[in-house]
Amino acid sequence: MSSSLEQLENQLETFIENVRQIGILVSDFQPQGQQVLNQKLQNMITNMQDIDKLRTAVQDVHVPLEVFEYIDGGRNPQLYTKDCMEKALTKNEQVNGRIDSYKRFKAMLLVELSHVFPNEMTRYRAVREELS
Amino acid sequence: MMNDLTRKVDASFSPKSSPRGSRSPMANQMLSRNDSTGTLKMTISAGKHPAVVHSGPFYLMKDPATENDLTGANNLMAHFNLEHSYNKFTGKKVRDSLSSFLPTLPGIIDTPAHLTNSSLRSLIEKPPVFKEFTLLNHHQLAAFRLHPGPLPEQYRFMNQPPGQRKHRKHKKHKYRPGETPTQDGSADGTDMHEKKHKKKKNDDDKERKKKKKEKKKKKQKHSPEYPGASSSDPSRVSM
Repeated sequence: MSSSLEQLENQLETFIENVRQIGILVSDFQPQGQQVLNQKLQNMITNMQDIDKLRTAVQDVHVPLEVFEYIDGGRNPQLYTKDCMEKALTKNEQVNGRIDSYKRFKAMLLVELSHVFPNEMTRYRAVREELS
Repeated sequence: MMNDLTRKVDASFSPKSSPRGSRSPMANQMLSRNDSTGTLKMTISAGKHPAVVHSGPFYLMKDPATENDLTGANNLMAHFNLEHSYNKFTGKKVRDSLSSFLPTLPGIIDTPAHLTNSSLRSLIEKPPVFKEFTLLNHHQLAAFRLHPGPLPEQYRFMNQPPGQRKHRKHKKHKYRPGETPTQDGSADGTDMHEKKHKKKKNDDDKERKKKKKEKKKKKQKHSPEYPGASSSDPSRVSM
């Protein structure tokens, strides 16, 4: 997978460089550059064909749609990864806090119920031990 | 207390027959009980003689929930070996702009895509319909015959921050052999182009200054504050 991604990256770099050179040619065009321009245009199509061939090799790579919002906004896509990790950590801490609260509540409830219903709680604890 | 207790529910039952009065679950058979976590410790038999049998020691006692190994109480970052990645992203300051992620990409890429109608989202929502990439034939290439001369300033893609221009200069050395518009080497070609651009910029500045001067002169001619300027016009009479 990494080799196919590297290949794709190299193909894209070649394509971008070709397009950049076309841009330079066109920005101050001279008649003798027409043949070179035609050649560059054909190269551009060849590069697109090569990129299209690599499509099957990277079909397993899934990109989340939210990343495109970052890219379309001119933002660094690494910020999306950073935001995801921060959200995951925050959620993890939140759930940990809830679990901790429920455990404390359970302990307090058992203590209070033992004060009010001592016999029933003794039976309850015995039944729970049997089940576990 | 509720072991082996069997109650027969009659069609004409009264809440008073239940030990808990109207609060008994059997008094109101319309209540729905959703037991999503475990089995209830009672069995209800329907039919000609419906009956409720409490088989557990406590009312609505359920089996304890199965404990999962992985819960929110665990450090999930450590569990999935993401600590290093997390420290990498949060420790270093990640720059906001797209150009910092792709510094070698030519052109201005930090502008929002919807302004230039080139967003990735539109590409996903409306994918282009085509069969295959085919090389251009002679007639199609004829459409790319260009007029000689420089492009207007606003259409030149070379208008990018100087930081990126430096990168392109470095790139020239990499791509010199065999991948240049002219055989002499891209460095020479692009250097000449850049020199021409600099010269043309200076020329453009001079032209702008000339135009400004001409505009000023025209204003002075037509304004009443400068009667001397309009003395060449015979139709005007000085007061």
